[in-house]
Amino acid sequence: MLRRLIKTCTVRTLGPFRPLSSVQKIENKISTVENSSEIIDPRLVSNSDNLNENPPESSVLQPCKEDISYVAPYLRPSFNFAAYVNKSHTLQQLLKLGVRLYKWEKNQEVPPYILQLDFDKDIKSYIIFLTDLGLQTEDLGKLIEKNPFIFKEDLENLQVRINYLKYKKFTDEMILRIVQDNPMWLSFSTQDIDKKLGFFQKSFSLTGNEVRSLTARKPRLITYDIEHIKLNMFVIKEEMGFTPEEMKQIVLQTPKLFMNNQHRILKTFDYIHKEMNIPLETIVKMPQVLTCREFRIKQRHQFLQKLGKLQFDTKKPNYISLITLVSGSDAHFATEVAGSSIHAFNAFLKTM
Amino acid sequence: MLIKDAPVIWDSLRSIICVYKPPNVTCQRVRQTIITAVCTGLNEMECRPPMDYVSIEGNPSTQLTVTVKPNLADHPLVVGPRYQIEDLKCSWSNYLGLHSSGVLLLGLRNGTKAAKLIRENRPTRSYRVSGRFGEATENGFKNEKVVERSTYKHIKHANINKLLAAMQASHQKEMFKSCGVDLQSQTAYEMACEGPIRPADSKLPVIYGIKCVQFEPPDFVIEIQCINEYETYLKSLIHEIGAKLRSTAHCTGIQCIRHSYFTLENALLRKHWTLQHIITNMEECIAIIDEHENLVKQKKAALQ
Repeated sequence: MLRRLIKTCTVRTLGPFRPLSSVQKIENKISTVENSSEIIDPRLVSNSDNLNENPPESSVLQPCKEDISYVAPYLRPSFNFAAYVNKSHTLQQLLKLGVRLYKWEKNQEVPPYILQLDFDKDIKSYIIFLTDLGLQTEDLGKLIEKNPFIFKEDLENLQVRINYLKYKKFTDEMILRIVQDNPMWLSFSTQDIDKKLGFFQKSFSLTGNEVRSLTARKPRLITYDIEHIKLNMFVIKEEMGFTPEEMKQIVLQTPKLFMNNQHRILKTFDYIHKEMNIPLETIVKMPQVLTCREFRIKQRHQFLQKLGKLQFDTKKPNYISLITLVSGSDAHFATEVAGSSIHAFNAFLKTM
Repeated sequence: MLIKDAPVIWDSLRSIICVYKPPNVTCQRVRQTIITAVCTGLNEMECRPPMDYVSIEGNPSTQLTVTVKPNLADHPLVVGPRYQIEDLKCSWSNYLGLHSSGVLLLGLRNGTKAAKLIRENRPTRSYRVSGRFGEATENGFKNEKVVERSTYKHIKHANINKLLAAMQASHQKEMFKSCGVDLQSQTAYEMACEGPIRPADSKLPVIYGIKCVQFEPPDFVIEIQCINEYETYLKSLIHEIGAKLRSTAHCTGIQCIRHSYFTLENALLRKHWTLQHIITNMEECIAIIDEHENLVKQKKAALQ
């Protein structure tokens, strides 16, 4: 029985590390493992030491006085983290960082990978590295949640990627903003990032400073799907008819536009340009109106039309700029911009 | 909101709500938006805390310690928010097509039963349909390409009124034919005495009233009271009106202004689709249902 016991406990604790050969060998290794890692139950280790010192050959029929409560079947495969979280120190620590574990269950590769990590051995150094960059706890949780495979990257590689940014004259605040806003940034190799920055510099003919300010403003744009950005560039250049210089102004003012759905921005543009007759030059000055949803600009425009207060000519009195048209709450718009009341606006909305 | 407990609010979701469906948004999208709004609203409130986790530790042959701590396996960060969008049942009692807008009744949780009863009772609905003479489009709506042009100067307000009155009369004749009883019988006579009746068939559109409320050539607006209608039927009706008046017409907007006792005033605008407003609206709707018992329980075939 005892042999079996030793076998079970060694298989349980050391099974993942190496094949079992002889008891002597195991004894040595138990002591090394005891020092290095915390995953072994202390009860279990001391117990096996006792057994090896004085192995009593007793009958299986005698009542057992040893603590065998740890001898339990393995945890069964589970659909979610809930089965493991009460036992796993790693998951509990991640929980303290505010990581939403249930989000990882959508990607089937993530849970098996996370479960084999050990917090002190595999994760701690990364958290120290990221905190040194200036990340707060909530940002850390968000970053780990969005990019769990960051622990697969080598720490030196991460340092090289940060050094690359420093070499390219990004300030510390910019680097912090990049890591905060774009959790995936650190998973891209230096060559990839260099290529992507080069793409933006070339296709929008930006200067070095402009590339830096664009990156700091919207770090997610740089690592976004290049094909999608090319598509939106086509929409803005060919379908809307902006010149390359105008497109440069647009990307510097509203980088978000290039990540939006192309049909959506085209719809909004069509309404602004064709229905409201706003010239392209005016739109270039305030490209953020293109990110507004069509129905919002439509209902406000039609309300003003009904009141007879449409005035998009800058030189005439009662001029309404496009930005005041789309920004602010409905109450603010109805009272301040349209000079009416929110009830009238709501009643109008129910006629559309 | 005075109540902060999410389960109390969850339990109170047991009736229908009345929302204003915007045009160019599908009913499915509206339903999804409402469900998401309700669930996020509930999750922001005070939800159930994690259950207790009783752990027994130590050597069974000597001393065992029993500790009780919150169960991490029940933590919202591990299993997800308490109110999941899949858990909230929601169904509509009148379907409005993509281009239609207006009053839409949605049943939430237990209210899906009321929504089903209202749907099966087939109450009348009023529509305001706007059209434009002179152009016919491929599918009868304004967003498709124009396939035919014609003149419309000869159409006067009196012409359109005359046509609509004739249409209403022929529909009323049809209504008695489709009521499901022999026209020569005593039952048919008694039913006819009570006024307009509903058809036995749930697929047959019947118009009870049709009137032109606005006529500014080429644009016109008609108001329709009907049963069993659908979007394509209303579009084809406008097309038919155009053809009968020796011109062509296409539809520029369809708005459902009344569904049984629910009017535009009760409808919740898109910007108000939050938990707070939805709960208030549900209370209004419960009051309307309580006031009019025939909404969910009908006894006769006559129009009510």
